[in-house]
Amino acid sequence: MRVTDKMAFNQTTNNLSKNRSEMSELQNQAATQRRINKPSDDPAASARVLVSRTEERGSKQFIKNINQARSFLEYTDQSLSELTEALVRAKELAIQQANDAGASAETRRTVAAEVSQIHSQAVQIGNRKLADRYIFAGYKTTTAPFDPTGEYHGDDGDIRLQINKDAFVAMNLPGDQVFVGRGMGEDGLIRPSATVPKDTTDLLKHKAEEQQRQQRIEQMQTEPVQLRGPASVNGRADQTVSSRVKVEAAGVNVLQVLKDFEVALQTNDKEEIQAAIDNVDSAISQVVNARAQVGSRVSSLNAATDSLQKAIVDHKVTASQLEDADLYEVVSDMNKTDSTLKATLETSGKVMNLSLLDFLR
Amino acid sequence: MAKIHAMMDIGKRSMMNSQTALQTVSHNIANKTTEGYSRQRVELQTAVPIVEGRHQLGMGSRAAAVTRTNNPFLEKQLQKETGQMGLQQGRESALTRVEQVFNEQMNKGLNQYMTDFFNSYRELSNNPESITTRTMVKEAGESVVKDFKRVDDQLLGIQKDVDERVRNETEEVNKLSREIAQLNEKIAEVEVQGIPANDQRDRRDVCLKKMNEKIDIHYAEGDQGAVTVTTAGNAILVSGFDNYELTTKENPETNRMDVYFKPNESTPPFRITDRIKGGTIGGGLNVRDQIIPDFKEKMDQLAYTFAEEINRAHVEGFDKLGRQGEFFFDMPTQVVGAARSLSVNEKIVNDVNRITAAAKPGAVGDNTVANVISQLQYKGIMDGNTTTMDDFYNSQVGRVGVLTQRAIKARESQDNVLQQLNTIRESISGVSLDEETTNMIEFQRAFDASARVIKTADEMFDTVLNLKRL
Repeated sequence: MRVTDKMAFNQTTNNLSKNRSEMSELQNQAATQRRINKPSDDPAASARVLVSRTEERGSKQFIKNINQARSFLEYTDQSLSELTEALVRAKELAIQQANDAGASAETRRTVAAEVSQIHSQAVQIGNRKLADRYIFAGYKTTTAPFDPTGEYHGDDGDIRLQINKDAFVAMNLPGDQVFVGRGMGEDGLIRPSATVPKDTTDLLKHKAEEQQRQQRIEQMQTEPVQLRGPASVNGRADQTVSSRVKVEAAGVNVLQVLKDFEVALQTNDKEEIQAAIDNVDSAISQVVNARAQVGSRVSSLNAATDSLQKAIVDHKVTASQLEDADLYEVVSDMNKTDSTLKATLETSGKVMNLSLLDFLR
Repeated sequence: MAKIHAMMDIGKRSMMNSQTALQTVSHNIANKTTEGYSRQRVELQTAVPIVEGRHQLGMGSRAAAVTRTNNPFLEKQLQKETGQMGLQQGRESALTRVEQVFNEQMNKGLNQYMTDFFNSYRELSNNPESITTRTMVKEAGESVVKDFKRVDDQLLGIQKDVDERVRNETEEVNKLSREIAQLNEKIAEVEVQGIPANDQRDRRDVCLKKMNEKIDIHYAEGDQGAVTVTTAGNAILVSGFDNYELTTKENPETNRMDVYFKPNESTPPFRITDRIKGGTIGGGLNVRDQIIPDFKEKMDQLAYTFAEEINRAHVEGFDKLGRQGEFFFDMPTQVVGAARSLSVNEKIVNDVNRITAAAKPGAVGDNTVANVISQLQYKGIMDGNTTTMDDFYNSQVGRVGVLTQRAIKARESQDNVLQQLNTIRESISGVSLDEETTNMIEFQRAFDASARVIKTADEMFDTVLNLKRL
């Protein structure tokens, strides 16, 4: 083959620029520690990196949500534990005052004052706030759910937080459930739907259902469910038999129970005081049940946190495997390219300097 | 005596031939690095012999022609491949910039801003009572809007750059077609005398190659060695000794630069933009008119659906003060241009309490709508409700990556093809200094020897003239 000067020069420049661009590519990888610096470096991987990063960010947000829910639930649990203690004290008092052996109209009046104190403590617990939000108010987190008489002004909203792509956990227990005992069982009240609407169509359906539900609740309130009313002589006999069952099924109004107990003590109504033992018992078990619910939610949150944390690590690893440069490989490639570059330079220098002219004198 | 005369004559002509050859050698050496130069050589032939009696006597040599060593088929192939190279380069340089628009390896992009937006809505769902979380949602919404605008702006910027390049390169094509027409004339002038116009032909080959690099041309050599050059089907750039110019003008409808061809004074210029398929102009136009509009369309779809879906849920909610929700984003009037015109509703910018989270009025802690909106992130609402917005966007990133990668690979392999062809071309037509040096010595020797022949003849004359005195 005929080799001309320009061929040799072209070849040298081409080879050198090829070596140099390889070198700069490797240098870039070493400096950024990344194999992928732009989508064209590996299109499929760079799209997958984006997916991993989105997932990672989502998981981090879910963990934030979980922490928020957990602090809410833990505070709820703590409040309910105080409520339980107060109720246990009330039960003690009820047992104490239930028979005439150790109690009299006098002692009952004194105890009534304490029970009244317990009642207002319970109301205070019902009005607990975490930061600026009333925790037992349902959705109406900015207004106190209970007035001093124990009347409930909140709603039955479950504040649900997203803890995973398709999982929500309610972070609150509405006061009408724990305290008022509404919708706990067979009282015919429908609790709000446990599912979160998935999209706008769902949302519209949800809104319609809510409206219907609200109407039904209003209807029921005009013909109220037989809850245990305040102490009365009339009609008590026919209630006592069925009342326990009914209380259990329908839930008890904790504050009302305390109020009734107080009234019974003041009126020195022994039978009613005896009934209060059972009622306070039901109230305790209602609160304990609620606490169990809170506890199970917290533990499911903990489980979710673990899996999310693992997911975060997984996504990080995936992204890293896809986009990070293997430093050993880069360095060894660099050495290879470096020696190629040196060889090219050396041989080029030799070839380019060779000319017949040098040998003619 | 006649033979001594002949000797002198042959010697003289041989000296002249050697000089011609040496001049050609020096021309070769001088043009060693000239682009597209083909080495030249003097074709020496024996001069017409004479017959004397029973002998035929040689009459020395004559320089028949100075020819160039050149393979026209190779040149043609080289020109064609250079055109391909131009196309790939044009595509690559525009596409690598498009790629940068979607490059989220190093900095924040649409993917992250959208994720941030949905996460800010999750934060709002955590705490719908708070002004801070509401402000965060507003900020995140504005960031998304800004980034949609950035993407659109940058894509537009690339199109504008291509416009500018199309204009400049069309000018260069015009310059080249002018030069080719002039060269056609010169070649005809020289070659009508039967002399090969080596240097002009070399130059014309270079011009054609350069032209092909910018725009796809067809050409053929016709009468008197003149080439006719056409582009974009039937636009004649050079015919005989005349050339016709391409003009560029901005199209008021598309705001893009269009290329026009004006065949003569009486005919109005006609548009050839979409018929240009090759060269850097063709490559740039391909990205400008096909690839970028496609990406823009996708971004518009994304922006429109994003706004539409969020608005749809947002208006169903109630804001912090129990008012019925309004649009979160000002709804773009149409899908086309949605990425550019997207904006956060002025009312929400001014009052973040207007952001809705609740499904019923007067319940500040209600986060049902916030949950619905944040769930849109994982919902298939693009492409006929099959793809999530994330996937939709990511697939665009993948697509731009594939396109760019392919363009780079195509350019690289074209580079190799071209290098190889160039090597072959240089192997045939290139100047070798060693060869020229050898030739130089050879012709110098010939020159010396020819001079010696004349000297010998002169001495012979002397001898003859001195016969009487002997």
